[in-house]
Amino acid sequence: MLSLLKKKSDAADFRQTAPWHANFRNVEKLPDIKVVRTAFFVNAAAISVALALLIYFASQEWHLHTLRGHISEWQSQIDRDRKASADAVAMFKKFQAEEAKINEVEAFIKSKPLVSELVTRLAETLPPNIALDTMDLRETGLTLRFSVRGAPDAASGHATAYLEMLKADAVFSKGFDEFTFTSTPTRNPNTGRMAVEFFLRLKGAKK
Amino acid sequence: MTSQELGPFMKRNPATACCGLLSLLLVCGIYFRNGLIPEAEAELAQKSAEGERYAANIRNSDKLKQQYAEILAANKEVDARAVRVNQVGTNIQFFYKLESETGVRLADPSQVTRVAAKGKTVFMPVAFNVSAQGDLPQLLNFLRMLENRTRYSRVINASLTQSVVNRSAPLSLTLNLELLGSP
Repeated sequence: MLSLLKKKSDAADFRQTAPWHANFRNVEKLPDIKVVRTAFFVNAAAISVALALLIYFASQEWHLHTLRGHISEWQSQIDRDRKASADAVAMFKKFQAEEAKINEVEAFIKSKPLVSELVTRLAETLPPNIALDTMDLRETGLTLRFSVRGAPDAASGHATAYLEMLKADAVFSKGFDEFTFTSTPTRNPNTGRMAVEFFLRLKGAKK
Repeated sequence: MTSQELGPFMKRNPATACCGLLSLLLVCGIYFRNGLIPEAEAELAQKSAEGERYAANIRNSDKLKQQYAEILAANKEVDARAVRVNQVGTNIQFFYKLESETGVRLADPSQVTRVAAKGKTVFMPVAFNVSAQGDLPQLLNFLRMLENRTRYSRVINASLTQSVVNRSAPLSLTLNLELLGSP
């Protein structure tokens, strides 16, 4: 590094000192005597740039050509399928219209509980000491009135146990969500039995 | 380099000049055709989406004809089971048929809905009031036939009463019900 610096300062000194004779050289017209001529590098650079641009342009054109090929493939598929697809859509619309009728019927049937199913289940689950007096199904729910045989304390116990049983029953718990006594069990003077009333609120019914 | 110097330079370096000219043309070409690729890509995306949609429509409609025929047949059956609002006699006859089949005693069943309601739906509920008397098996049979046979029905209000004093007396059933009907 030191030697290089030294040489530079020598060169500067040399330029500053006056030549000992006149310089008649015409630098412009002197031949290029370098081992590899400057023109080679200039040509190489120009060719490289042109080649790079050519490759880029060609790849771009190829990509465009490929895209257009795909587009024309899709277009021919679209032209082929258009009619069949339109027919399918039209038929599906007809199908939907018919399906709406079926859905309407299904909604109609399922909108209310099956009374036959409720009565059957009541008959199946009724304990021996309890008799059904009235079953009243309304928009809000089901009111059940029973006569319970036995002493008042035992009768109340039977009624409570039956209410719990109904609450746990698969058929009743499916359609009703509240199971309550509507009033305090009282003795019926005509029969001497305890009169009990339950209210089962229909799921989704207004309170 | 001035324009006067350009001529001799090109004569001295023909390869460089040709390459320069070619590069210039290529740059112009790249510049002007550059916008075509995004356009083509967008068009391809749109066409492929459309093509796939059509193909999916066709694929999904594979069994649609058969399903449509089935649903048409089902709807024919539904139509046959729906009551007509203005055919009051025929509608009431349905309850008397149930009476004769089950052995319950009906007390003047009546049709409440008399006029076809205008609405968006195809069907309409036709309301009836029905009172019946019988023992529990008879009434149960009546209810099952009413809810599961011939007509589509739903019970709006139902009241089943047993005499508290005389347990052997027949049970009373009062129903406000609707049959699925068409105008």
